[in-house]
Amino acid sequence: MIGGNMKKTLSIIAILLMAALSLFANGQKEDNEKKTIVVWHCNTGVTGEAFDKIVESFNNGIGKEYGIEIDAIYQGKANDVLTKVKASDEDSLPDIAQMDATAAIDMNYSEYLALASDLPISTDAFLDSALSAYRSEKGLLALPFNASSLLFYYNKTLFDSLSLSVPKTLEEFAAIAPMLGQKSGDSVTRYAFAGVPTTYELTTFIGSQNGLSYIVDNKNGHTGTPTEVLFGKEGTYKEFLTKWKALYDTGYVGNITSGVSTEFASGRTASMLASSSNLTTVISSVDGAFEVGVAPVPMVNENATGGTAIGGGGLFAFNDHDNTVAVLEYLTSAEVQRFWAEATGYFPINKGTYESEEYLSFIEENPLFNIAPEYAMSSNPLLTNVWLPSAYQIYYSFQANIQKVTAENMNIDDAINEMVGVIEDALDSYAEQNIN
Amino acid sequence: MLTLTYMKRKENMKAYLFLLPSLALAATFLFYPLMKAFASSFLTISQSGKILGFAGFKNYTKLFSDSGFRNAALNTIKFIIFFVPLNTVLTLLAATLTRKKRKGTAIAEFIFASPIVISLSAYALIFKEMFRGRISIINRIFSSEINWLSDKVPAMFVLVFLGVFLDFGLDYLLLTSAFRSTDKNIIDAAKIDGADDRKIYFSIELPLIKRMLSATIFLALKDAIMISSPVIILTEGGPFRSTETIMFYYYIEAFKSGNRAVQNTLSVLMTLIFILSMAIYSRRRSGNEKRT
Repeated sequence: MIGGNMKKTLSIIAILLMAALSLFANGQKEDNEKKTIVVWHCNTGVTGEAFDKIVESFNNGIGKEYGIEIDAIYQGKANDVLTKVKASDEDSLPDIAQMDATAAIDMNYSEYLALASDLPISTDAFLDSALSAYRSEKGLLALPFNASSLLFYYNKTLFDSLSLSVPKTLEEFAAIAPMLGQKSGDSVTRYAFAGVPTTYELTTFIGSQNGLSYIVDNKNGHTGTPTEVLFGKEGTYKEFLTKWKALYDTGYVGNITSGVSTEFASGRTASMLASSSNLTTVISSVDGAFEVGVAPVPMVNENATGGTAIGGGGLFAFNDHDNTVAVLEYLTSAEVQRFWAEATGYFPINKGTYESEEYLSFIEENPLFNIAPEYAMSSNPLLTNVWLPSAYQIYYSFQANIQKVTAENMNIDDAINEMVGVIEDALDSYAEQNIN
Repeated sequence: MLTLTYMKRKENMKAYLFLLPSLALAATFLFYPLMKAFASSFLTISQSGKILGFAGFKNYTKLFSDSGFRNAALNTIKFIIFFVPLNTVLTLLAATLTRKKRKGTAIAEFIFASPIVISLSAYALIFKEMFRGRISIINRIFSSEINWLSDKVPAMFVLVFLGVFLDFGLDYLLLTSAFRSTDKNIIDAAKIDGADDRKIYFSIELPLIKRMLSATIFLALKDAIMISSPVIILTEGGPFRSTETIMFYYYIEAFKSGNRAVQNTLSVLMTLIFILSMAIYSRRRSGNEKRT
């Protein structure tokens, strides 16, 4: 027999359980009208403000006309957006997600992705090299939105005062490094260069060699899951490590992996490598203390003419609804891309922007903003960012590997074998879990 | 007799009924996933969750031969060696100094216990700012030139320091309350017998709080084995993978990269480590109880 109290307790328990279960049933209702287009993005700080303005002007302008509204939700870094996208299904996915190249390998196999090449959007107006960042064997995974390239940032005031010009090659850089750096006693008070290259930088340092080189086969993973590491047997990593070690041995390279732009802004390093998307932020944090200069990345050697790969992010769509397409068209339009580029340092992916008079007069007044697009457009369009499994482990391994060669005097050939091993292990376990 | 056993059974039933919700939750969110992870750790599973075949111990041998995992295990051991003793000594010291209520101890108590009220990530971010670069706040205060988060040894030091900071509040509260709930009569009796403060502390007070102390040590050990969020926020495993811990490795490889083999094998391994340390701890505890 169950007493009155017992019954009460049981019913309370039952209610609590039901309440708990209801938490799991919050799927969105299917909305055929789709008045609200949800966009998950990764823009914060200066770029976040610019993105908000773009959304706002849509919602108050074209959006109102069509009766559509963009609901922009900041989800953290590009990779955090990916994590959340991977954890979502049809019901909880946004209509559009802004992610970077690290998303490509997952999105390539996603059953929910609406291929950009299947959408009724003409890509004729887009820069070809920006599109190739998202081309896979299946088609176009995403539309480029925030395109950037790796740049060499330097303290122009310092370079000018020493009558030095920007180094074209790592050898030239090593030759002038002692002039750029400064020591008091044994400790370096100003580095010639601060930072440790990793996957992103190596895509350029390795990729530019001999006109075009890849880190892994299948065109850096774009035409299929990579199966082997190329930089080992092609000698491109060795060439880079040899030159980089020589630069490090001048004694003026700081192997710093965090806070590099703080060091740069405080004048404690004469140069650094960073994405062009940091341009506005770097200029504002230097705050006139010295003149900032940007230039193409010094080449590993005279034959490293491939230039750089286009980085940054793109817009991945999860349905082909007309309103989703309308938002995509808006975000990639010449006018939005102009505003976006001027506010951030990303460069326009729409060819139309480069013909707009407003943009032309903007880059005339702000020539620094024109270095990245010129650099990217003069690069080999086949040079693309690399799509790798276990991307994080590989990213940190490259840094550790270069640290061993430079600061800990590891034999270069051993270091290359180690790095090839790390990536091949990652490729193997990926293949095992996905190809069989 | 009959009615008595019936009554007892009824009582038991009631107890089980009360336990039912937690048992149901534990079963769905703990035991079932754990069993599934255990079974899956012997299978090859695709990223999308399809079973591709039987793997035997291959997932385990692969994990142990992975340089990233071995590095992470080594770093975790390093962290435990630095963190657990330092944390224990510092919290015990603070609790010892403020164990007697006097004028002003409330201020000290407030300060020592305050780390408990601010969230972990907030502290990690504050630390990150304080130790950022050569022009960091800490370097300015101590006019030092240390690259805290860019050199291996200082980075580990900052991580240990942050770990202590995060655990300090709770451990301090537990230890002071243990000190204060000891039987004052015993101490008074010892005083009358002529024992000095030192003797009282080491021979009476410390043994009396031994159980709580071992509980805090166990908590510290648990936190050290599981440390991940401070690493994710403060160092991202850097510089040069020197602060990558096992759970950080799990985070980047299993969670971020979706490696199912690492997900399952590492979950099983970590659970085993916990069951083992829990068993050792409770055996020691019951051993202590028998002796007292």
